Amino acid sequence: MFNVTFYLRRLHSIAGLVCLGGFLLEHILTNARVLIGPESFNAAVDLLASIPPQIMLPLELGLVCTPFLFHAIYGVYIAWQAKNNPQHYRFINNIQFWLQRMTAWYLLVFLAWHVFYLRIFVKGGGAHISFQLLQSYFANPVWWVLYLIGMWAAIFHFCNGVTTFCMTWGIAAGPRIQKVINAAMMALCALLCFVSLAFMVVYLM
Amino acid sequence: MAEQKFVTFVIERQDGPNEKPYTQEFDVPYRPSLNVVAALMEIQKNPVTRDGKRVAPVVWECNCLEKVCGACMMVINGKACQACCALIDNLKWPIHLAPARTFPVIRDLLIDRTVMFENLKKIQGWINVDGSWKVHEAPRQNPYTAQTCYEISHCMTCGCCLEACPNVGPQSDFMGPAPLAQVLLFNLNPLGKYDKPKRLEAIMQKGGITSCGNSQNCEAVCPKNIKLTRYIAQLNRDVNIQALKNIFNH
Repeated sequence: MFNVTFYLRRLHSIAGLVCLGGFLLEHILTNARVLIGPESFNAAVDLLASIPPQIMLPLELGLVCTPFLFHAIYGVYIAWQAKNNPQHYRFINNIQFWLQRMTAWYLLVFLAWHVFYLRIFVKGGGAHISFQLLQSYFANPVWWVLYLIGMWAAIFHFCNGVTTFCMTWGIAAGPRIQKVINAAMMALCALLCFVSLAFMVVYLM
Repeated sequence: MAEQKFVTFVIERQDGPNEKPYTQEFDVPYRPSLNVVAALMEIQKNPVTRDGKRVAPVVWECNCLEKVCGACMMVINGKACQACCALIDNLKWPIHLAPARTFPVIRDLLIDRTVMFENLKKIQGWINVDGSWKVHEAPRQNPYTAQTCYEISHCMTCGCCLEACPNVGPQSDFMGPAPLAQVLLFNLNPLGKYDKPKRLEAIMQKGGITSCGNSQNCEAVCPKNIKLTRYIAQLNRDVNIQALKNIFNH
């Protein structure tokens, strides 16, 4: 017996945690370097840009693009099957469940635009990504706010995803460990949200 | 004599499985410790709406009246619970009653829970004892495991967990938390564990355990306080091990 749904779900879970989670953390770490200074951020971007495209492009396509598309498309199918009910059942976990889906819808649109504009249109068009380029982009407060919400949505979706990952994979079975992991991940969520707010503020100064 | 107080009930009614739902309001004479089932019985005796219209009595289901049978599950003030132990004194007035629309509605508050029975059949919610082999004496139960089994065996298939679960409903094929917990119950039994792979295979299929989204509403609403989230996580561990076996043992 080959349970396709089972393996697809598990693949969805692991793609989200490993590939997308790893990529998100890489993003936060690289972007946080504007806190040291614009030169530090530019150096980090240049370092990544120095990887030859023969290596970078397959990595991007295989470890980022494909898992992203799979996670997004299968995720839409999953989110479609939920009738959200936090208005009746105001439990903290249910609100997290709802937020997981709401952030997903936001990220679907936000990331499509983010990837299309910055990666394909600007970088693919031959422009050199730098602090200065982003600063002029974020001079428009609408983009700045939408990007900040996008960061926060991604961070929440990832941190809450780690909690549910631990249950889905049977790592955290007991109620105490489930609570501890949830609290720890929400603390991490708060910390990363603060870091992202901090580096976004730098662009305003 | 003190003036008689009345409790207002706003009831979502429906004349048949495919009819349009509508609401009607009823006033029921208040008395201390009145519960929702007793109030519905009052309405049955005198089915007159607040605006004085005589209507068909409200249909609902109840049986044991002591939170053991699960039959009177309905949505009271937005939350799924047993009507027999929903005390009027603990509820916000006016009291809103609605059928659990996760299930097909037959009439008014009466629902069709066949799907729960079908899912118990799917997961093999029983222990095979009849066969051509000798069963000998009943095997010993680990007393600690038996404690867990006792807790899960309280499940009365009322359907509260299915109604509260955002992933169960007409829009999805998820079997819901109740039958999943039963898998663990029968897998823990010394005789039942022989069929453990079969049960795990059953919940690995579409609409099985993978449809759980960890909203954890089931555990929060379970009238029997069954730690459903914990058992689903345990089953997740079991199905993952089963999946590894399926991959590497064949």
